[in-house]
Amino acid sequence: MKSEKSRGRRLNERSFFSASPFLTASLIGFAIFYFVPMVISVVISLTDWNGLDRLLAPGFMAEHFIGLDNYKAILTGTEFWKVLKNTLVYIVLYIPLMLMVSTAIAALLSRQRRGVGVFRVLYYIPVLTSWVASSLIWKSLLSPQYGAMNGILAIFGIEGPGWLTDEKWAMPAIVLVSVWKDMGFFGLILLSGMVGIDRTYYEAAEIDGAGPWTRFLKITLPLLTPSLFYVLIVSLINSFQLFPQIMIMTDGGPNGATQVMVERIYKYGFRYFRMGYASAFSWILFIIIMICTAVQMRGQKRWVNYDT
Amino acid sequence: MKKTKLFSLLACVLVAVMLFSACGTTSGETPKTDEQATPAPAETSGTEPENVTITYCNFNSSGGNEETLQKMVDAFQEEYPYITVEVETIGYDDYFTQMQTRVAGGTAPDCYELNIENFAAYANKGMLAEISGIDVSGLNETALNAFNVKGVQYGLPESFSNVVLIYNKDLFDQAGVAYPTADWTQDDLQAAAEAIRALGDDIFGIWQPITYNEFFKVVAQYGGALLNEDKTAFSINSPENIQAAQALVDRVLVSNVQPNTVQQGGMGDWDMFMSGRLGMIPTGIWAFQTFTENCDFDWDIAVEPGSTQKATHFFSNCVVLNPESKNQEAAATWLAWLTSSTRSAEIRLEAGWDLPALSDMDALASYLEITPPENREAVFESLNYLAMPPVIEDYALMSDIIGQYLAAAADGTMTVEDALNAAQADCEAQISLG
Amino acid sequence: MIHKKRLSAAAYYLLGTLIAVLATIPFLWMITTSLKARGALMSIPIEWIPKEPTLAAYVKVFSKFPFFRTIGNSLFISVTYTVITLISASMAAFAFAKLEFPRAGMLLKVFLATMMIPTQVTMIPLFVVMNKMQLINTYSSVILPSIFRPFAIFLLVQQMRTIPNDYLDAARIDGASTFRVYFRVALPLCRPTLATLSITTFMEAWNDYLWPLLMLTDKVKMTLPIALSTLNGQYSTEYNVLMAGSLISMVPIILVYIFAQKYFENGMMAGGIKG
Repeated sequence: MKSEKSRGRRLNERSFFSASPFLTASLIGFAIFYFVPMVISVVISLTDWNGLDRLLAPGFMAEHFIGLDNYKAILTGTEFWKVLKNTLVYIVLYIPLMLMVSTAIAALLSRQRRGVGVFRVLYYIPVLTSWVASSLIWKSLLSPQYGAMNGILAIFGIEGPGWLTDEKWAMPAIVLVSVWKDMGFFGLILLSGMVGIDRTYYEAAEIDGAGPWTRFLKITLPLLTPSLFYVLIVSLINSFQLFPQIMIMTDGGPNGATQVMVERIYKYGFRYFRMGYASAFSWILFIIIMICTAVQMRGQKRWVNYDT
Repeated sequence: MKKTKLFSLLACVLVAVMLFSACGTTSGETPKTDEQATPAPAETSGTEPENVTITYCNFNSSGGNEETLQKMVDAFQEEYPYITVEVETIGYDDYFTQMQTRVAGGTAPDCYELNIENFAAYANKGMLAEISGIDVSGLNETALNAFNVKGVQYGLPESFSNVVLIYNKDLFDQAGVAYPTADWTQDDLQAAAEAIRALGDDIFGIWQPITYNEFFKVVAQYGGALLNEDKTAFSINSPENIQAAQALVDRVLVSNVQPNTVQQGGMGDWDMFMSGRLGMIPTGIWAFQTFTENCDFDWDIAVEPGSTQKATHFFSNCVVLNPESKNQEAAATWLAWLTSSTRSAEIRLEAGWDLPALSDMDALASYLEITPPENREAVFESLNYLAMPPVIEDYALMSDIIGQYLAAAADGTMTVEDALNAAQADCEAQISLG
Repeated sequence: MIHKKRLSAAAYYLLGTLIAVLATIPFLWMITTSLKARGALMSIPIEWIPKEPTLAAYVKVFSKFPFFRTIGNSLFISVTYTVITLISASMAAFAFAKLEFPRAGMLLKVFLATMMIPTQVTMIPLFVVMNKMQLINTYSSVILPSIFRPFAIFLLVQQMRTIPNDYLDAARIDGASTFRVYFRVALPLCRPTLATLSITTFMEAWNDYLWPLLMLTDKVKMTLPIALSTLNGQYSTEYNVLMAGSLISMVPIILVYIFAQKYFENGMMAGGIKG
């Protein structure tokens, strides 16, 4: 019994020994660039630090420590829940739309047809454009009376809304712009998953007389699940951290309809000089994202298909 | 055991870091040596003991005036050859984020620029050094006082801008209304705005944004204020303030001499004025250049009309000293020269940048000669009625809270009274006035 | 049958073109804005095609800062950043996906958790750490964080898990070392993903803005996005120059992208040979 156990451990140690050279760089990077700042940030969240005084100078804790007050204030106030609701509205609209569009793009691009290379470049242009430039451009495209968007809608006899000035439409407008910006990126991720699928499956299916739609449903989709899983997790994390497009296009307005988590965190930290509060806010956000991701990780066994 | 592991980890990190820094500098530098465009770093000037190099960080020259600032630096260094000024210019949007990080991280530059909102926070939190031992008598007193906290001068006004009433002469002619004068009141303005609005569906009388920045000035015109006299309590929902906000909101919702968001159609106020569809616009003197270039109609300016009294805007950026700087004296010399010397004022005016905050208006004579607007004196006349922003430590938070409720009042989702009551309650709950 | 094929080809190109138009309209507007004389992004009515096109904005971009030096900095940083990310992340991913070691699942979860923290709050702490390490104003301060990129690790783990273990075992039986298995078997099989990753990483490094702004205060070390940010003034922004600069800064990324495309073609081939 005892010898069994120690043998098991030795085996494990050997495999950690073989794995460690592969992990060293990442571990060092994790420790310096993430772990240490994270620990400091947790400490800050327990203080009323204004974000200007010298951080962690002698006497810092004695002067600023306030325990869990920030957390209490956030969770008992109304703002947090409003902002959480706005973020959820974004997620519910954005994720399904983005998944559909980017899967369609990946499917289009995976065909070896003439000219597909051109499409591949064009679809990726939004991803390559910086958020600053694209937000500014979209802001003017979406302007109600003179913007191109409503101009095009008018051709079909539809009177477009004040996209960024109407409380009902501001968040959907942000979603549209985000899908436009991200579809190429996630499309590309899905594409690289698609081209990795073994050709023989398709050939076999074709011999069996399966049409293109059946092949897509029965072969492509199931074998694409690892990539889809990645896209789902990453896009969910990104959605919670929605930020630059909001700052440039609406700055949280109209009437707070597009105030979201990171926008609040940034404003509290760098505009209102409440860095302690902002840090607590972001740790609450962290926990929310973590729970969502953990749920997805749990669920992945049910639908993600690793070909091992 | 654990300790040695930790040490070896640290050693690894250090080696990695050193390797990278070495490779970073060498391979980064090689492709550039063949370019003449890059001047040699000014570190060589440190060879003589009395020579000092100071860093000056600013946002104001971004977006078109970097060369003007460089001219000033060159002129300064002619007079003070032993001081080398290294300028860092950063875009306005991110300037304060990066400055805050540098201040908190203990690597702030020797001297830098702040706007009035951030100045209060930095000064109150002890991040600035007192500027003393230099002659500031040439500077405009009101402007100077704005950067004096409890008797200590923490900043020097670098330049100023104010707001005047700009109007479209052609629309006034068409509507048969006399041009605005310095003794106009809000009633005259309203009457003129209505006459111009009657000219057409797409033509509006005035556009005065219902925002925090306009609000604190308009309440002053109605004899109100956002804070009590000694800045210990908010008075956002005082009767005068409600009256002032009501007047602004009624222009949109009742008389509709001002466009609502649908009528604005996503256009900015400047764009609408430049397209000739707006009779009047109270806006900053920094619009002159753009309007001169883009308006194909005649326009002029007047001192903004008041109600019970006149009140006009005053915007000023200031320059401040880092208390941890080793070269405070040299930095103060540069700041004083930059803000109050005749030479720097001349360069500033030549470039049409903004106005130096000097007390002696004669130095600004050349400014008056440029037209349009013909009535350029109104810029200086407005200085007699300055309403200072209510500078408190939590200025940004206060202005965002008030701005948000004003927006709700402006689009009719809240009554003016409810909005200001809510703003008062929110400010009291979130901000403690020390 | 032939008729049907034609129809599907037509549908393919119709849909493909439609998406292409949607994707590029804003981009086209950037081009026309950059050709306008003044900073009128919002001119009314919209000038789809500038009345008097001019290259003034481009001239201004080039005269505004030492352009080639700035581009050189950006290129150097982005290339090293991408190479380090690819090496470090693929090694870590290989360990997670194919080498069993204790607490692997746990460690991967901790790594992934770092993606969930908004960078806005760790920015000042990280700045302090960098200052302690005396890295401020060095290229390393911007490049070094590339040794740990959770997004990249995660993507590669997902990809490597789909590699059948038989492939690796076969190589091991032939006497290959673990490193050789990683380098000769696992990496080539991930080629499409590595290509994707190199584009996205290069692009992120190229467009990254706030962190370099904090780290590289020395004008000589400035990258392109920092240089462009100085176009943004307190009261006005020169939109035409901003758009011209943004367009110029996109050129290298598009080139990298077109170059990396080759690997997709290769990836498709590899998929065909498999099995």
